[in-house]
Amino acid sequence: MQIESERALMAHLLRRAGFGATPAELDTYCEWGYEGTVEWLLYPEAQPALEEDIIERYYIDWKESRNIEGALTETVYRMNGNAGVRPLQEKIALFWHGVFATGLAKVLHEKTMLNQIDLFRQYGLGSFQELLRQLARDPAMIFWLDNNFNHKSAINENWGRELLELFSMGVGMNGHANYTEDDVQEAARAFTGWTIDDDNVASIPYGKTPWRFRYDPEDHDDGTKTFLGETGNFDGDDIVKIVCRQPSTARFVSRHLYNFFVADDVQVPAWQDTPPADPRAIALLEEEYFRSGYDIRSMLRLMFYSDFFKSEGVRFARVKSPAEVVVGTLHLVGDFKFPRVGFMDTALECRYMNQDLLNPPSVEGWHTGKEWIDSGSMVERINFVADNLGDSDHPGVRSIVETLMSRRPDATKIVDGCLELLGSVALREDNRSALVAQAEQALDAGAGTEAVILNALRMIGSTREYQFA
Amino acid sequence: MTTVVEYPNSVAGLYQYHDVIGLLSAGGPGFSGPVSVALGPDGLLHVASRANPNQPEAVRVTRCSIEGDYVGEFCGWGDAPGQFIWVTAIAFGPDGSLYLADENTHRISRFTSEGEFLGCWGEFGDGFGQMNRPSGMAFASDGTLVVADALNHRIQRFTADGIPLATWGEYGDGPGQFNMPWGVSVDSGGAVYVSDWRNNRVQKFEADGRLMAEFDGRDGGDGFARPNGIAVDGEGRIYVCDWWNDRVQVLDADGRVIDTLIGHSGTSKWARTFLDANPDIEEKLNKATQNIELKRRFYRPSAVAVSKDGFVFVADCYRHRVQIYRGL
Repeated sequence: MQIESERALMAHLLRRAGFGATPAELDTYCEWGYEGTVEWLLYPEAQPALEEDIIERYYIDWKESRNIEGALTETVYRMNGNAGVRPLQEKIALFWHGVFATGLAKVLHEKTMLNQIDLFRQYGLGSFQELLRQLARDPAMIFWLDNNFNHKSAINENWGRELLELFSMGVGMNGHANYTEDDVQEAARAFTGWTIDDDNVASIPYGKTPWRFRYDPEDHDDGTKTFLGETGNFDGDDIVKIVCRQPSTARFVSRHLYNFFVADDVQVPAWQDTPPADPRAIALLEEEYFRSGYDIRSMLRLMFYSDFFKSEGVRFARVKSPAEVVVGTLHLVGDFKFPRVGFMDTALECRYMNQDLLNPPSVEGWHTGKEWIDSGSMVERINFVADNLGDSDHPGVRSIVETLMSRRPDATKIVDGCLELLGSVALREDNRSALVAQAEQALDAGAGTEAVILNALRMIGSTREYQFA
Repeated sequence: MTTVVEYPNSVAGLYQYHDVIGLLSAGGPGFSGPVSVALGPDGLLHVASRANPNQPEAVRVTRCSIEGDYVGEFCGWGDAPGQFIWVTAIAFGPDGSLYLADENTHRISRFTSEGEFLGCWGEFGDGFGQMNRPSGMAFASDGTLVVADALNHRIQRFTADGIPLATWGEYGDGPGQFNMPWGVSVDSGGAVYVSDWRNNRVQKFEADGRLMAEFDGRDGGDGFARPNGIAVDGEGRIYVCDWWNDRVQVLDADGRVIDTLIGHSGTSKWARTFLDANPDIEEKLNKATQNIELKRRFYRPSAVAVSKDGFVFVADCYRHRVQIYRGL
């Protein structure tokens, strides 16, 4: 029972810090223990990287990706490829992509967008201050929020505003505004001259080249600014430093991390007036934010070791995002771990489930929780999962079938075994009983054990519970 | 970039940039990720585009003159006989028909040079005559076809109609072993040259598979980094697409690097037509001065072919063009 309980906790950790785990991976993680696994997760750069030559060799169209679908496909491929090796690196990149939502609907330069996702992989677990510094220099972000049109002679406050409103402090906290319109304009002044080099043309005749950050001192307003009560000759990096010192930023980052890794919260625009669901957890994260010098890795470490993260009450309490559904299922069944034709159609499932990666609906990103679900996306989710879990050609499914067959299972053992091997999925008892009854009926009618196992996998994949992380 | 007309020499001066054919296009004049180039018996250049799954019609073989006049193309996205998706190589057989390797179906297909389907063979597997992602192909002067069987890490030889004759090699980095071989070429004496892709070397074999030599492409600096396309000319010079180094290394018959091509592309006829119709794009291109030199260079050269009169055709994959040099 203790072992089963540890395994269930480990599966929970991997659903949140990664995209789930295969039965074999869970065996390994349980050998390492919870602490060993958390530390392994927190330092993904110590693990082997994806083999870039292999990716480039087969998917030659990705290197200089020229369409949204290609860029989305590459992103999903990397998540799936890293799901067993560097899961938290991909998960944190997905997290920041949702927070700093930038989209190809405007950027129209796929490689530049993909470089932004790489930025999240590289800096996403480090200092939040450094992440913002890099983000302010990111060509996709500069173009997305018009900072290339932010001139000394005529400011464009789009980036300055969103930096405060959506990327760091939030509009307000505890019912109060966090900044003023003057702060927005002063921030914008500090980022004048932060621009990009681009050729901003179609791929024709010879393909695109990545955009590059460029600082133009002639276009920078180096006058005195007053921002959040501090006065000085601030540039963009100074603004980021001041922003990171704010309690509202600690709150904002903590709520985002909690919402993504622990339990669904209300949508971001409601945060000004709606207190956190678990104020004690948010307070601990805020404290760690300042104690660690704004270090995301430290905040996550505290979170993963906390009772509020391990609690039974938060397990299967977050609606999986479409990326989690697609990548989690692919990883479990072991498909597309090596390039082959057909991945685009699979990757596009994220779009069909309402998460068009690299193309969020707005700078506010995707609304999460129950808002992922509508009748159309629900059908896509169930069909995708059931189709994959029921396909014994997938090595991961084959392995589950063989493991269960070796146990000579009856109907109860088939269902419980499937639940265990799919990552200790906790079904409501009436759902579980219904599946056992169905398996019994099939066995009594003479169905083969393998067919009954595959059907049980399909049915579990179709349950409400499987759609939760 | 777009108005430059120059004919620079290669690094050691043995070759001169001559011309460029290309334009990113999903159909008609242009290529989309060209991965193989071959000269047909009709004197036409044939270029295979790998393209992307979003534009299946762009996976095709384009036919044009070496002066850059578009003649035609054929495509056929799919895995039924006569169709292809992941094209890796094309080569002309002794009867003038065009052979095409598809690493999706693990098949070699045969077409007329105009694209009429004549037949195919091959199936997935690691048995004799089976293949796992065929990559480079080259015909020997005796009419047999040599194929790099990439994920079986071996070379196979077939008759022109697909009967397996011989195989050699296995996975590894020792002499005569391979790690995902890609390009192959056969010289006039029957020796087989293999770009041993993940081992960063070229290996030269007797016709029967006995190892003769190994070349690392070092010229005082870096050696090969994932070499792929390869060709041998009548004088025994070996041309190797040094893929990850974005250059073509030219080796003498003993494997010494004697020259390096880096790409000097100007504006092709097809690009000129496009830019004349879109002067706003040309204006923007000329303003992006930081990219002008960059866009002239090779970007993942993937295949090379040499004509009898000394022209070198390089498939410049990510720039969607074929750059042409001539020997001096």
